[in-house]
Amino acid sequence: MPLLEVDALCKSYDGSAGAATLAIENISFNVERGEFVALVGPSGCGKTTLLMCIAGLAAPSGGRVAVKSQLVDRPPPDLVLVFQEYNRSLFAWRSVLGNVLFGLEAKGRGGKAADERARRLIGLVGLEGFERHYPWQLSGGMQQRVAIARALAYEPEVLLMDEPFGSVDAMTRLELEDALLAIWKELGTTILLVTHDIEEAIYLSDRVHVLARRPSRVVETVAIPLPRPRHQVTTRAEPSFMELRNRIYRRIADAG
Amino acid sequence: MRADRRFNLAGLGVFAALLLLWELYSRAGGVESYLPPPSAALKALTEPNVARALFGHLAGTLGRFLGGYLLAAALAVAAGVVLGYSRFAYSVSEVIIELLRPMPSVAIIPVAILCLGIGDAMMIAVTIYAAAWPILLNTIDGVRNLDRTLVDTGRTFGLGRVKILWQVALPAAAPYIATGLRVSLPIALILVTTSEMVAGVNGLGFFILDEERSLRPANMYAGIVVVALLGYALNRLFVAVEARALAWKRGLQAKGEA
Amino acid sequence: MRPSKISGFVALLAVVAAWELVARAGLVNPLLFPAMSKILASFLALLASGEIPAQIARSMERAAAGYFLAATVCIPLGVAMGLSERVYRALEVVVETLRPVPPPVVIPVAMLFLGIGDGMKIFVIFFSCAWPILLNTIDGVRNIDGLLVDTARTFGLARGRTILKVVLPAAAPQIMTGLRISLSITLILVVISEMIGSTDGIGYFILNAQRRLKVDQMYAGMIALALLGYILNQAFLFVSKRLLRGR
Repeated sequence: MPLLEVDALCKSYDGSAGAATLAIENISFNVERGEFVALVGPSGCGKTTLLMCIAGLAAPSGGRVAVKSQLVDRPPPDLVLVFQEYNRSLFAWRSVLGNVLFGLEAKGRGGKAADERARRLIGLVGLEGFERHYPWQLSGGMQQRVAIARALAYEPEVLLMDEPFGSVDAMTRLELEDALLAIWKELGTTILLVTHDIEEAIYLSDRVHVLARRPSRVVETVAIPLPRPRHQVTTRAEPSFMELRNRIYRRIADAG
Repeated sequence: MRADRRFNLAGLGVFAALLLLWELYSRAGGVESYLPPPSAALKALTEPNVARALFGHLAGTLGRFLGGYLLAAALAVAAGVVLGYSRFAYSVSEVIIELLRPMPSVAIIPVAILCLGIGDAMMIAVTIYAAAWPILLNTIDGVRNLDRTLVDTGRTFGLGRVKILWQVALPAAAPYIATGLRVSLPIALILVTTSEMVAGVNGLGFFILDEERSLRPANMYAGIVVVALLGYALNRLFVAVEARALAWKRGLQAKGEA
Repeated sequence: MRPSKISGFVALLAVVAAWELVARAGLVNPLLFPAMSKILASFLALLASGEIPAQIARSMERAAAGYFLAATVCIPLGVAMGLSERVYRALEVVVETLRPVPPPVVIPVAMLFLGIGDGMKIFVIFFSCAWPILLNTIDGVRNIDGLLVDTARTFGLARGRTILKVVLPAAAPQIMTGLRISLSITLILVVISEMIGSTDGIGYFILNAQRRLKVDQMYAGMIALALLGYILNQAFLFVSKRLLRGR
């Protein structure tokens, strides 16, 4: 049984004059336990809408989403979403520690054990020593690390990430990619990440679902057989990396 | 208000010069009935029976202020969060709010006298009514401007509506609420002193008006000094509390300006 | 009309109807809460007889005098204090000492000096309006981009003309904020001063109606006051939109 199933999902929004805008038409794919899966597609292919539906934050107009065979009709307890806009999703009034503790408090966990776990995750994302800082005192990349630590403190079985590194500069982006891979290896959390960066999708994941727009659908699923651990220089320099990149690029360009 | 907090010699000099002029003018005679010298007001402050009376009036005024202001804050924040969060609740109350809001709040005093008589309950009630408006409107504004992403963040962590209201919407609206509280602080003091003047039997407002009517202007000025000190102290206290409570927000602004 | 407005008016009608029903059924003391229809009838009668318009006119004379006096004194003073650090520091202690005085307690002082005539009320309104106008003007002038003033000077504008052509327009939005805050304070203080020391005006009318137990007239006066506040606010918005056009 796959951990996460998306089956014939479609989503339309009510337009102004009663005309419905179709954001997603018929998307299906699965994510297995422990997998790192990336969804890659051009802007406007409904990636964010898709994640909102999977996270139970928006109701699909058709089809179904299931986590552990349980139909998703509200935010499921085993799944958490990391937003692209870290500056809008962090709680400005809470310190780094307070933000990370939020995920634990939400589960009704407090006290010393929660505190220790939060501190461990802060260390894991490389922010040891910043526990008492407020979000505004951190750089963008550090803020997104806090958001990731907060999500992981919640102990989700599935971590959804919506363009998590889309708002940071290029160098920081590479750093965060490696930090994410290290955490994934350490915790074994299943990750579904949405990005428009083809190379990022290949570099991080086990499988890439390629999305196309009009209508939004999965046009191809590409397995990524690159060996782990991956390395920003050597992995990206491998001929098979380039082949995968070109194949996915053409697929998107042809469908687009 | 100023970043620069140097000792303001020129300012104090002007202030002292004005007091001195007043002192000399009053001593020259003929104006005792309405303009006693400042030294007379100071002397009144130090007279044991006046000081004791003033202390009692100050306690009364402060008690009514705190009762009215704090109750107004609690009620208005609670109502504002609900009205800001629930579109239905807001649309039902919008017209009534828009009708009541432009009426100067002191006009409620006669109604309050009718319903509650002329005691502390009346004065606290009118203070609540007047002080609640800025807090209510600012809280509604703050909650309505709540970032959708913050709400979704709360939801993805499995929080229900009530918890999101309490743990996300309320702290996110805190800077707006603070603005409302800052605006209503002097309003509350205005309403307390006014109601003491119109229908009080003690309190600084009553004392000041009563001393004027009893033709004891020195005592009246002494009362004004005390009420000014009260206003000043309350304002300083508010600023200090706000700075602590919104330390995270001040940082936010500091970074934005940099 | 927006659908949400409709539910708002329905709610208002419901409150008015409930008031009417509860009052007619005798569930509340009619001395405190006369039927809404009686209040509205009384309001219309007082409007037609000219009683309410006359009282409001008296109040408005005082309010306008105090308000415009405050604007005339405090805008130039604020510009001076905003532009010149020396002027600011000289007056700072006086301003900071007087500002925390709650305006109503100035009424007895003004009564000593000026009796209970119009002068007293105008002074009290002036005193209470002065602070928001003064402080906002200072702030507005201080926050002007220095480049703007420098630009004016490179064009050879004299100091007086720079203030008129550059400083005032640049600080206008914040000066208007001060004027708007003062407008609502004016209304509050005119009512207070008429309640404490007066024989006419809408504030006196309302308190006097309560003392004579003409409760329907008291509520009628409050309706008039709410309308007045609404109209003044709308008028202010209209004027300030015109003055700040393009901002």
